[in-house]
Amino acid sequence: MGTVHARSMDTLPMQGRDLGVHPDDLDVMEVQQETKQEILENKDVVVQHVNIEGLGRTKEDYLGYEISEVFNAKNLVDVMKKSHEARQRLLRLGIFKEVEVIIDISEGADALPNGLDVTFEVTELKRLTGSYNTMVGNNEGSMVLGIKLPNMFGRGEKLTFQFSYGTKETSYGLSFFKPQPGCFERNFTLNLYKVTGQFPWSSLKETDRGISTELNFPLWMTDHTLKWEGVWRELGCLARSASFAVREESGHTLKSALSHTMVIDTRNSAILPKKGALLRINQELAGYTGGDASFLKEDFELQLNKPFILGSVLSASLWGGMLFPIGGQPTSIADRFYLGGPTSVRGFGMYSIGPQSEGDYLGGEAYWAGGIHLYTPLPFRSSRGGLADLFRTHFFLNAGNLCNLNYGEGPRAHLQKLAECIRWSYGAGIVLKLGNIARLELNYCIPMGVQSGDRICDGVQFGAGIRFL
Amino acid sequence: MSLAAEAFVSQIAAAEPWPENATLYQPLKEDQILLSDCASSLAVQAYLRMCGLPVQVRCRANAEYMSPSGKVPFIHVGNQVISELGPIVQFTKAKGHSLSDGLDDVQRAEMKAYMELVNNMLLTAELYIQWCDDNTAAEWEIRRKMSAVGWAGKSLEQVYEDVSQCCQALSQRLGTQPYFFNKQPTELDALVFGHIFTILTTRLTNDELADRIKAYSNLLAFCRRIEQSYFDEQDKDGQSGSSRFSKGPSLI
Repeated sequence: MGTVHARSMDTLPMQGRDLGVHPDDLDVMEVQQETKQEILENKDVVVQHVNIEGLGRTKEDYLGYEISEVFNAKNLVDVMKKSHEARQRLLRLGIFKEVEVIIDISEGADALPNGLDVTFEVTELKRLTGSYNTMVGNNEGSMVLGIKLPNMFGRGEKLTFQFSYGTKETSYGLSFFKPQPGCFERNFTLNLYKVTGQFPWSSLKETDRGISTELNFPLWMTDHTLKWEGVWRELGCLARSASFAVREESGHTLKSALSHTMVIDTRNSAILPKKGALLRINQELAGYTGGDASFLKEDFELQLNKPFILGSVLSASLWGGMLFPIGGQPTSIADRFYLGGPTSVRGFGMYSIGPQSEGDYLGGEAYWAGGIHLYTPLPFRSSRGGLADLFRTHFFLNAGNLCNLNYGEGPRAHLQKLAECIRWSYGAGIVLKLGNIARLELNYCIPMGVQSGDRICDGVQFGAGIRFL
Repeated sequence: MSLAAEAFVSQIAAAEPWPENATLYQPLKEDQILLSDCASSLAVQAYLRMCGLPVQVRCRANAEYMSPSGKVPFIHVGNQVISELGPIVQFTKAKGHSLSDGLDDVQRAEMKAYMELVNNMLLTAELYIQWCDDNTAAEWEIRRKMSAVGWAGKSLEQVYEDVSQCCQALSQRLGTQPYFFNKQPTELDALVFGHIFTILTTRLTNDELADRIKAYSNLLAFCRRIEQSYFDEQDKDGQSGSSRFSKGPSLI
């Protein structure tokens, strides 16, 4: 955390003592400082200059918007608060390693008696950085090498190259990111990638080579993303014993799709939130901008969290989606939805629910899945903080269904079809939070409502991933 | 196919009789089918008809990707998928249908030798002619592909000459017999029919190859005979129908 330094002002009746104030402690200042604080708060100040020092390749005009608010501060505490906020805004641009704030009285010919100068001392990130990580995705591990060029042209542009070698997947990608000066939340990304995936539950392997452009922007309380993606997909059988239904899908296809996503996220954390809600609605339209695949795909995700008794959290989630083929073409196995597994309906094998042929799961055109969870802190924790805080015990009830719909029938018939043969499961386990991105789970599951063809994972099931039901 | 794979296929194959819904998959007809693919597909169809095994023909754009070996045609029988004539012959043999059972060892070796000749000569010639006929392939591309199959340095004239010689060898072996091994057709007959018939009936910009083959009248008669016996007999009302031939025109 940075520190804010404030020099004493001569016109105040103080004994020349330096005040070292931490912005976080503004609310918990000691009582003896109260009189001084009162005087400070009542004291009118004018911010005369706001400087940024330490700029190398960053263009000054890019940063003007982030620091402009500081000029509006009316008293010292306000100056400190607004400086702190400006510091946060500068850090979120992703172009500085560290930002320090220095507040000083104005000096120079045009200095006012109550004038202040605020200086941000920044340390820019290096032009080129490399990184090596290991990553845990949805039940697979991989080694990731990255090269990053932050702030390439001085206005926050970022170029990233990533190479990932995993237990199931090898991929590489090039990404260019450009935020709008003055509004970092409005930004544009261009991606080029090649991704290979293996899906043993379908005996399928898929290689995607694609290009995508994405525009993010906030609108009132929501975040929107507009994206166009062009992908050359190559599907093949993973084993000679693949079913004929999967064999029929082999070959090359081209998908050109426009998609839109809307997200409202009021949770306090992405992993194991204590309160808040998430709503995410996504639609994708393929075929009107070229390519072979032609469909309209809708899916949504809803999550509600509420603190319960004794530090526990009650969480409910609902997922659903539908895929409508357009133009009478059948849907591709690569576009359909899948259900089941440690990150989805627990107690079932990975993506092993629903339509299948000779043991290969083909996915479905419509699905829904829901879960109710109770997360409690570990019992018998000795102290607050520490490793025990990352764990939770977890009681859950999951349910879901996946099927193909005959779109000639009405919605009533569809709802009926999705409501019959529901798979569900319940159980308990332990959850471990990994950073702010991923979580590990070890659960004891009891699957119910199992239909013929589903593969279950009765008993202990381990899961690792980013997105869980 | 490796020995282990052969044994595996034989084991599985022997278990069930030939089903009604056996299907043969080949690439789409229009411009997409290569000369060599068409010939291979016709050879397999002829062989299955000679064995009396019913099969439906389906055309798929992604047939070569669906095939387990990447080559067309392939057949889907029960829940087995087998591609190319060689493995298909093995497969049908395991089910108890064989055309070459009556041959002794010497004849069988001879049959294999001639099949190799056809595969090496006619198949490669078809590829070459297809590439040249495309007019889109550049001279250097063709030369590169030809050296990949060991035919570097051959000109079009030389290719025609090679085909002629191959046909001469076949013609001599056939002589005046109805089939290569006298009365009964074998897989060699199916293979030769597939290739010769395709070359004769495909419309190319240059008809010289067809003309050269027509010089061997007994081969022509042989093709007509097989066409009449195995491809027309079930279709007394007319020519069309997707479950018949892939290419329209006939020799008659």
